Amino acid sequence: MNGTHAMLSHFPVGFWALATLMILVGAFMTGRLAEISRAALLPVLVLSLLGALAAIAIGLIVWPMAANLTSPLARNHILMSFWSLGIYAVITVLVWKAGDTAFDDARRWALVILALTGGLMFSAAGTLGGHLAGSTTAFSKVLGLMGWEVYTTFYSPLWVIAIMVLIGIALGALGIMSQRRTG
Amino acid sequence: MGTRNKRAGPWLVLGLPIALGLAWITQGSGVIENDLERNIYIPEELTMPLQVQAAHNGEQIFFRYRWPASQPHVYHDMLRYEDGEWIRHGRSVPGPDPDGTYEDRVAMLVDDGGVPQFSRYGGYITVGNQMRFFTNSASPADVQAHPHLGEQLGQSDVRKYLPATRTDQNDWRSVVDADVLTTQREAGYFLDLWHWRAGRSNAVNASDDQWIGEYRNSDAGTGPYTTNWDGDTNQPRWMLDPEQTGQRALRWEDVTSGQVDFDGLYFLSENNRTDFDPDHDWQNGDVIPRRLLRQPDGSRGDITVNAGPARWEDGYWDVTLMRDMDTRSPLDDKAFREQGVYDIAIGVYRNATGSRWHYVSHPYTVGLGREADFQAMAFEGDSPDWSSDWFDMTLFYPGQVDWPLLISRAHAGAEDIAQGTPVRARHSEKQLALYGVEMEFNDAITSRWMMTLIAGLIAMLGVAIALLPAFRQTRQGDRS
Repeated sequence: MNGTHAMLSHFPVGFWALATLMILVGAFMTGRLAEISRAALLPVLVLSLLGALAAIAIGLIVWPMAANLTSPLARNHILMSFWSLGIYAVITVLVWKAGDTAFDDARRWALVILALTGGLMFSAAGTLGGHLAGSTTAFSKVLGLMGWEVYTTFYSPLWVIAIMVLIGIALGALGIMSQRRTG
Repeated sequence: MGTRNKRAGPWLVLGLPIALGLAWITQGSGVIENDLERNIYIPEELTMPLQVQAAHNGEQIFFRYRWPASQPHVYHDMLRYEDGEWIRHGRSVPGPDPDGTYEDRVAMLVDDGGVPQFSRYGGYITVGNQMRFFTNSASPADVQAHPHLGEQLGQSDVRKYLPATRTDQNDWRSVVDADVLTTQREAGYFLDLWHWRAGRSNAVNASDDQWIGEYRNSDAGTGPYTTNWDGDTNQPRWMLDPEQTGQRALRWEDVTSGQVDFDGLYFLSENNRTDFDPDHDWQNGDVIPRRLLRQPDGSRGDITVNAGPARWEDGYWDVTLMRDMDTRSPLDDKAFREQGVYDIAIGVYRNATGSRWHYVSHPYTVGLGREADFQAMAFEGDSPDWSSDWFDMTLFYPGQVDWPLLISRAHAGAEDIAQGTPVRARHSEKQLALYGVEMEFNDAITSRWMMTLIAGLIAMLGVAIALLPAFRQTRQGDRS
């Protein structure tokens, strides 16, 4: 399963990297390349999600679940993978919803911010996968310079977890109220 | 309203980097803290350097160890007089002894191939189920009631043991039959243990000599110390001989000063003791060592300190131990032979810590003329000149990681162990130290990690819902 997971992981990582590049090109450039990037973004995102679901499903059975939940590296890999999936799922929904107007006005900035955040997440997920497979990269040192030693589990204090949940609830409530107001 | 959504709405996305950024900059905090009630104490430094050299002259083998220590701890297990009572300081406790009265040590496990797993996993294979000073350590009553460990060996805790001495790796009680233990030992299934103590052996130029089988056993003979305490009278048996030393006791302020005069008086031995005088006018702060040093005898006395006693100087311990290459005690010791390659793993205690609060090494090989990680240099004469290079090791705090865990489904590398992949191929010392610490808080960290993961997903869901109105598809006429 380890080899299958490694093979499958190339799809979401590749598609997410491509999607991030397309968002940057679509947001900051003009011309034919930018138009193609904007037009082709949604299918790339959809494919990335399908690839991610397959890679995660197989990845979760590479080792027994007890090992996944005990290994700091595996825990981190899982967290970053799910967060990557979550962020690119958000981007997918937004691009799908906005259609060919996804890059209009300040929307492009929202996509850029999400893509860069997602880029950090899937880069971390990928490099952690390399660690787990016994192939480390220098990117983990970059993460270390950013304050995270990848051999320690990524977890937050309770007050931060509470703030994260509150931010989610507050933003969700704002969105629902806004939708109701605008019909 | 729609226009306002289009302008301000997309910027709600900032909620996500704020949430995740906050998680990032605070990650790893809020769980790990010392808890002495649960036998948890995390050293400030998780790794430390150790330099090693080895040499042999065909008859004797020498190992030299050098490691940094902020101060020497040579006082161990002291009796301090206070208001009519002798109070014990320096018993084994979680973490550092608060008074600094716990000795520095270096311990080296040695094998000649009789314990194949040792060459791959080092001391990890000796860390069994419910070891002493683990959070889940076996109760003294249970060990004392055990027919072999308690009733036969007279022990009250679970110490290092080898995997094949148990029928069930998850149960320290499952000791194999005594005749099997004997046969294992005769077959060489034991680890030799060189065990130098700054307090309980160094001053008499001795090292303890032990072996690991179903327990951490001592070689035959007598060790370099005995207990200076009379339980019936609740007072020491011996004190310093005033005629010889000019004093009857040490002083507490000297013992706890962190300074040691290695040419002075800091220990009680057979050569400087006399019977305890209960009628003396003992003063508060008088200190008598609870251990009496003596020359070890028999197989247990095989290892000595070369040009001893070893000294701490300028922030470093420099200890050289020597032993006959073949002690003629095949049930206690591993013999060294020219053209042999031997597996070793070394542990160091410093900062007044004992028990499991040591720093340990990966397993390494030392060769006597054959290729190995480092060589025991051949020389002629009585003492090596140590002209060869040091072999540098990094030692690490191992935390609470035991062998039953490592071969269980909870260890992703259990399959690698089953296939014989050595630990050095998979884990660095720093990695093992960090893992060791996390294992002491595994349940709490797993729970907090899961909560963090879910909280991040909730934040993402909230951002998605918040952004949806702003990302509503606009018709051509809506654009402005």
